[in-house]
Amino acid sequence: MGAVWDVLTNEVTYSSAVRFAALLLFAASGEWVAERAGTLNISVEGMLLSGAFASAVSIDLVDSMWLALLIGALAGLLLSTVQANLSHRLPADQFVVGLTINILVLGLVGFLDDGLDPSVAGAGVVSVPLLSDIPLIGPALFAQSWPLYLVYPLVPAMWWLVYRTRWGLEVRAAGEDPNSADVSGIRVNARRRQSIYLVGLTSGLGGAYFVLGAVGSFEDSIIGGRGFIAIAAVIFGGWTLKGSVAGCVLFGAVVSFRLSLPQQGYDALGTELLQALPYIVTIAGMAMFAHRVRPPAALAKPFLRGLK
Amino acid sequence: MTDIVAQPAENSPDEILAATRGRHLVIGEVVGLYVLSIAAALVLAGLLVAVTGGSAADVFNALLDGSVRNPGRWGLTLGAAAPLLLVALGTIVNSRAGLVNIGQEGQLLIGAAFATYVGVRLPGPGPIVVVALCGAGIIGGALWAGIAGGLRYWRGVPEVLSTLLMVIIAAQAVGYGLKNEGLLLSAAGNRANRNQVSEQLASDTRIPRLTWFGNEFPTTVFLAIALAALVAFALARTIPGFRLRMLGQNPRTAQRAGVGATRYGMGSMLISGGFAGLAGATMLAGGDFGNYQLVPGFSTNIGWTGLLVALVARERAVAAIAVAFTFAGLRTGSGFLAATGVERKITDVVQALLVLALLIPPAVLYIRERRRALNAAKERV
Amino acid sequence: MQTPGPAAVELVDITKRFGRVVACDGVDLALQRGRIHGILGENGAGKSTLMKVLIGLVHPDRGEVIIDGQSVTITDPIDAAGKGIGMVHQHFSVVDALTVWENIALGDVGRLDPAAVRDRVGDLSRHYGLAIEPDARVGDLPAGMRQRVEILKCLRRDPHVVVFDEPTSVLTPAESEQLFDALRRVVDEEGRAVALVSHKLEEIRHATDTITIMRQGSVVERIATADSDAASLARAMVGRWVSLRTERAALGLGIEEAATVDDDVDDEPADARDVLELVGVSARGGDGRVLLDDLSFEVRAGEILGVAGVEGNGQRELGDLLSSLAPISAGEVRVDGRPVRCGVAGAMSRAGIAVVPEDRHDSGCVLEMTVAENLFLAEPERIAPRGVIDRRRMNDAAIELIERFAISCEGPDSPLWSLSGGNQQRVVLARELSHEPKVLIAAQPTRGLDVGAIEYMSDQLRLAAETGVAVLLISTELEEILDLADRIVVLSRGRVAGEMTRRDLDLERLGLLMGGADVSEPAP
Repeated sequence: MGAVWDVLTNEVTYSSAVRFAALLLFAASGEWVAERAGTLNISVEGMLLSGAFASAVSIDLVDSMWLALLIGALAGLLLSTVQANLSHRLPADQFVVGLTINILVLGLVGFLDDGLDPSVAGAGVVSVPLLSDIPLIGPALFAQSWPLYLVYPLVPAMWWLVYRTRWGLEVRAAGEDPNSADVSGIRVNARRRQSIYLVGLTSGLGGAYFVLGAVGSFEDSIIGGRGFIAIAAVIFGGWTLKGSVAGCVLFGAVVSFRLSLPQQGYDALGTELLQALPYIVTIAGMAMFAHRVRPPAALAKPFLRGLK
Repeated sequence: MTDIVAQPAENSPDEILAATRGRHLVIGEVVGLYVLSIAAALVLAGLLVAVTGGSAADVFNALLDGSVRNPGRWGLTLGAAAPLLLVALGTIVNSRAGLVNIGQEGQLLIGAAFATYVGVRLPGPGPIVVVALCGAGIIGGALWAGIAGGLRYWRGVPEVLSTLLMVIIAAQAVGYGLKNEGLLLSAAGNRANRNQVSEQLASDTRIPRLTWFGNEFPTTVFLAIALAALVAFALARTIPGFRLRMLGQNPRTAQRAGVGATRYGMGSMLISGGFAGLAGATMLAGGDFGNYQLVPGFSTNIGWTGLLVALVARERAVAAIAVAFTFAGLRTGSGFLAATGVERKITDVVQALLVLALLIPPAVLYIRERRRALNAAKERV
Repeated sequence: MQTPGPAAVELVDITKRFGRVVACDGVDLALQRGRIHGILGENGAGKSTLMKVLIGLVHPDRGEVIIDGQSVTITDPIDAAGKGIGMVHQHFSVVDALTVWENIALGDVGRLDPAAVRDRVGDLSRHYGLAIEPDARVGDLPAGMRQRVEILKCLRRDPHVVVFDEPTSVLTPAESEQLFDALRRVVDEEGRAVALVSHKLEEIRHATDTITIMRQGSVVERIATADSDAASLARAMVGRWVSLRTERAALGLGIEEAATVDDDVDDEPADARDVLELVGVSARGGDGRVLLDDLSFEVRAGEILGVAGVEGNGQRELGDLLSSLAPISAGEVRVDGRPVRCGVAGAMSRAGIAVVPEDRHDSGCVLEMTVAENLFLAEPERIAPRGVIDRRRMNDAAIELIERFAISCEGPDSPLWSLSGGNQQRVVLARELSHEPKVLIAAQPTRGLDVGAIEYMSDQLRLAAETGVAVLLISTELEEILDLADRIVVLSRGRVAGEMTRRDLDLERLGLLMGGADVSEPAP
C-alpha cells in the first residue's frame, strides 16, 4: 500500500486527474444540457475525437492556438449537425446514428492521419499566482496549460444557460414533457437540435484541449472511450450539473490513478486490470446510483408531432 | 375534445394511411430515395479517396476483385459473412424486444475466449469438441451480455452504456487471459515474451470446410443461414416471438398480457450475447480468422460490423443475409486496396457512410406519410 | 344579460380535411365580447379541430380567421396568444417537473424575469380568487390546482378570447359551479369572449348565453341558450331522435335528473358473493408519494360498482394495479377469496380480471400489430397449438370476434392504428370479454367516444353484469356512474371516502365526498 500513498501524495497524480476530469467535463457539461432536453448522444465520443483530430491537423497549418481550438470546436459542431438532424428532424434512431457517427469518425481519422506527424505543438503552461501554490491541488487546478482553464467558466455558463434563460426553460420543458411544451408553443425538436449543437461545440473544444493542452500529441486512440464515460458521469450525477462534475472528477481521478500507479513502479495489479479500471468503476458507479435518480421524463424518447 | 397529443383520434388521419398509401407512395419513389442516398454516400467516399490522391475507380475495382472477382475470394467473403450474420441475428432479437445492445464486439471476444479454453483443453473425439467449444462460446457471450442485462433490470443502468463499456473491459480481460498459461496462453514453445497467443486448435477440432468451384469456406455459413431462417420464423410465428415483439412495441400492454419485462428482456439479452459468442467460437474454429488461435484483437470489428448489418437490414433476419454478404465483401475487398495506395480504413468510412445514408430513406418516407395523412387535401370527398 | 359587444374573433368558412375525412366543413363562428359561447357536439363532431385552428395548432385548408375586422393567419399557440386568443386545455399543457411560475412563463417571449412572473401570478390569483403558490412544483399539485395553473397561464396573457375545453372532468360539481361563476365574472366585468367547448348538454345549457351545435364537421344549429331545450339540443347534436332517459349519460344530461330513482334499477340479488376484494391496499409512487391509501372495497357478482371521484385521486393507480402494472406496498387483492399477486405480469389477467383501460394506447393494445394479433395478446396459446401460431385458426377466431362485437375494420390483418378510436375500444373489449372473466374493470371507458360508441359500451357493461360478471366502473364522469352503477364508492386521495347505493343516492353528500370533505353517514 506504500505505492498507493505515494501516488496520493504526488502532485502529478492530481495534475493528471484534473486533466482527465477536464476532458470529461468539456463533454459532460454539454451532454448534460442535451440530456436535459431529452436527447442521448453517444456520438459524443466521435465529437471529442473529431475535435482532437481537427485541432491536431490545423495547429500545423495555422499558427494560432486559439484558432486551432476553435477549429476543433467547429469539427465537433459539424458532427453534431448530423446527429441532430438525423435524429430530431428526421426520425432516425438516435443510438444508431450516434454509434455510426463514432464508427465514421474513427474510420475517417484512421484514414486521414496516415501521413500526420503525431507530435504537435502544445499550448504553454500558465500558472495562476497564489492559487497555484496551494499544496497538492493548487498546481493541479491552477498550473495547467491554459486551454484547460476554458472549462472553468464553461460549466457555470451551462448552468446559467439552463436555469436562467428562456432558452433553458424551454429546453427543460422539452426534456420533461414535450407534448405539453409543444401545445404551449415551444418548438421542441428545434430546442433539442440546438442543445446537440451545443454539446458538439463543447466536445469538439474538449477534444482540441486534450490534444493541445494535455497530451501534446495525437493518435487514433487518444479519446479511447472516454466520451462514454462522460455520458455515464451525467447519469451518475443524476442529471444535475454538480453531480456531473463530481462524476467527471471521480472518473478522471480513476483514470489518472491507473496511469500513476505503474509510474510509481507498482504493477502488481496488472496492466489489463488497470486499463479496464476506469470503465469498471464507471459501471460500478452507475450501478450504485442509477436507480436512485430520476432522468428527464422524455429522455431518449423521440418527439414526433409536427416535427418542427 | 380528445387528446391533443399525437395519437390516432376519431376519424384519424392514420386511418386513411392504408388507403392512400397505394396511391401516393409509388414504388419508384422508394427506390429512387434509396438509390439517391447510396449514391450520395458513394460519391462522398469517392471524394475522400480523390482528396487523398487516390483513384475512385481503382478502389472500386480493387474492392470487387478482393471480394468476389478473383479466384477464391468469394469463399473468403462467405467466411467473413457467417459471423457477421450471426451477430446481426442476435442484435435483431434484442432490438425487437426493445433493448439496445451495442456490445457485441465484447460478447464475441469473450465467446471466443471461452471457446478457446474448451477447444484446447477438452479431450475427446473431434466433433464433440467442436460442438462443445461452440456451446462454450454461446455461454461466454450470453454471460457477458447477461451482466449488462442484469445491471439494467436490477440496478437501472442503461444497457446502451454498459454493453459499450464492457467491450473495452472484455478486450482487457482477454488480453490478460492471453498472458496466463493457466487460462488462454499457449504453453507450447518459448515464444518471445510479447507474444500472447493461445494454443492452436487441434486439426480434428476444427469446423469442417467445403470447397466449391475453387472457393473454400467453413460450413458455418450454412449454420448461419439456417439460424437466420429460424430466427425469422420464431419471431413471426411462435409464441415467445410474439411476446417478444409485444414487449418491444408496447411494454405496458405486454406486462398486462403476462409478458414479464425482466424475464423476456433478460432472455433476449442472453440470446443476443449468445449469438455473438457463437460468432466468436465459429470464427476461432472456422479458420478464416487467426489461424485457429486466439490473439489480441481477434474480433477485428466483426462485432461492430455485425451490429451495423442488423441496422441496415432494418431488423429483418432474412434481409440480413444479403446485407452481411455485402459488408463482408467490403471487408475482404479492402485486403486488395494496398496495391492502389489507398488506406484500408476507407472501407470503414464507406460502411459508416452507407449506414447513415440508408437511415435517411425510411425516415424521410415516414415523415412524408405522416405529412400527407395530416395535410392532404387533394381529393374531393 | 348584457347586450353583446362586437365580435372579438370570427371564424369564417373554416374547412379542414385529414385525408378523406372532413373534420371541419365550412364552419362559421363568431365569438362576441361579453358572452359565454357554448360549442356543443359529441366526440368527433369537429369542435376540437375548430378550436385547434383558433389556437394555431392546426392550419385550415380554407377559410379565414378575422380579428377586429382584419383577416389574420395564426401560426402557432404563441402567435395566437399574441393576438389575444388563449385556451385552457382539457388535458393541460403544464409540465409537471417545473414550478407554477415557470409553467406560466412558458410560451412567453423575451428575457426570462422570474420576479416579474411571480408578481403577476400573485396579482392574477388574488384578482380571480384562484390562490396558488408560485414556487410549488406542478406535479405535486392535485388536479383542480393544476387546472388553476392552466387557467392562470392563459389569463396572464390578457386574452380577448378564452376557450375552455371540457373543463369540468377534473372538478367536483361544486367546483364546477365556482368555475362557471368565475367565467361569468370574466365575461361580464372584463368584457372578454369565452367559448365553452363540451359534449355535456346540461353544462352548456347551464353556463352559456348562446349555443352553437356541431355535428360531423358542420354547424347544424345556432340558438340562444334561453330558447333551447334539452330534447332538441340532443337531437341536433346526434342527428336522430334520442331517448333522453336511456342516453342521458352519453349526452351529459342532468345529474339532477339522473339522480331520480329509475324503476329499472335492480335490487341487488340476495345471494351475490364478493368476487373482487381489495383489502387495505396501499401503493406508493416512485417518489414516495401516497397513491392509494388503505383502500378497501368489494365488488359482487352481477353488480356494477361505480368508483366516482375527481381525476387525480387514485383512479389511474387503481386501474394500473388491477392491470398488473403496479405493485402495492400493503394490503391484498382477492378474486373469489384467493389472493392475487400484484405487479406480476399477467397475474391479474390469469386470475380472471379483465380490464378496459383508461388509455388504450398506453396499455390496452399494440398499435403496430394487427387486429387479430391484438385480439389474442394475452392468450396466444388458443391460436397456437404446439407453440406455433396457426394463421388460419387465428384469422377464423378473429373474424368470429369481429362479427360478434361488430368491429368495423378492413379485416383481421389490418393494423390496429388504422381503426377509429371507437373500434379500437371494441377490439380491447372483445379481447377482454372473450376470456370469460370473473371481473371486468372499465376505466373511463367512454372517454373520447361519440354517442353511438358510448351507448354500445354502456350496453356491453350492463350485459356483462347481467351474465354474472362483477363490473367495476372507474369514471370521473358522474353522469356515467349514475347511469350504470348499482352501488357507488367515492375515491378521494387514494381511499374510499364514502359509499352509497344507487337507490339511496344523496347527490349533495356525493358531491361533498368527491370534494374531499369528511362526511359521515347522515343520521337515519
